[in-house]
Amino acid sequence: MVLQDQASGRLLPLRHLGRHTPHHSPSLSWNGRYLAVLAGAGRQRRVLLEDRATGRLHRLLLPPDLEPERLSLAPDARRLALEVAGPGRARLRLFDLAALLEPDRPPGWLGQGNAGAGRP
Amino acid sequence: MRPRARLGGLVGALALFASACTADMPRPLAGIDRQLDQAGAGQSPSLAGRWLALIAARGERQEVLLVDLEGLGPVPLPGLNRPDAQPLAVSVDGGGERLAVVRQLEGRTELVLYRRRAMAVERIPMQPAGVPRRVSLRADGGELAVEVSRDGLWQVDLVRLP
Repeated sequence: MVLQDQASGRLLPLRHLGRHTPHHSPSLSWNGRYLAVLAGAGRQRRVLLEDRATGRLHRLLLPPDLEPERLSLAPDARRLALEVAGPGRARLRLFDLAALLEPDRPPGWLGQGNAGAGRP
Repeated sequence: MRPRARLGGLVGALALFASACTADMPRPLAGIDRQLDQAGAGQSPSLAGRWLALIAARGERQEVLLVDLEGLGPVPLPGLNRPDAQPLAVSVDGGGERLAVVRQLEGRTELVLYRRRAMAVERIPMQPAGVPRRVSLRADGGELAVEVSRDGLWQVDLVRLP
């Protein structure tokens, strides 16, 4: 897993995610504070989320019947969407992360009215 | 003393690890999940702000769906979905205004940008030529990253958008 600052080209250090492989489906929050990935394979696949501000690794506990294939972390880190394998077809499952993570708002965010805009 | 010191070091290391790693249970959004199940099988989710873009199955066909998660449900995307196109990946910006879509059409795989207000689809050429696979639109809609296959190698292109 590589995280690069596009402005400088510099590779940024990851405290945890370099140790869990293989990784799939990386997703970054707005300012790059949070990086969410799928780690492992098959039913052992897990959702890991590194908080680069605190150095903490969050291992998200999912219902045991879910086999995640792809993820999307909302830019403000308030929600997570998973594509999960199902009998004969894929499904989506959404999760609220508001109680687990501080939001990662865009610069200049002024309040609730701007939550949907996602623009600096 | 030495074994005790070693044990103390081990306990300290475990405590440090425990403080740096937590197991968290996120809250399922079951109401939205049920609505999505009713809309058809979902793939390739992309979350941004109040918006969720996905690829939904409509019988034999698949199409791009944009859902307003703040209660308004799916919104129309006139001009984007075509009966002869197969969407493979989608990404939405935080305003719900732009969608980047990788799709198969007339035997080729292409990347397009859809502007919702203009109801316009614009093809974004791969330079140099390549086959796009996955795409991620920046939340402000100003840039996208696309995974491209060229001569058997997977590369990531960054494309600035006007």
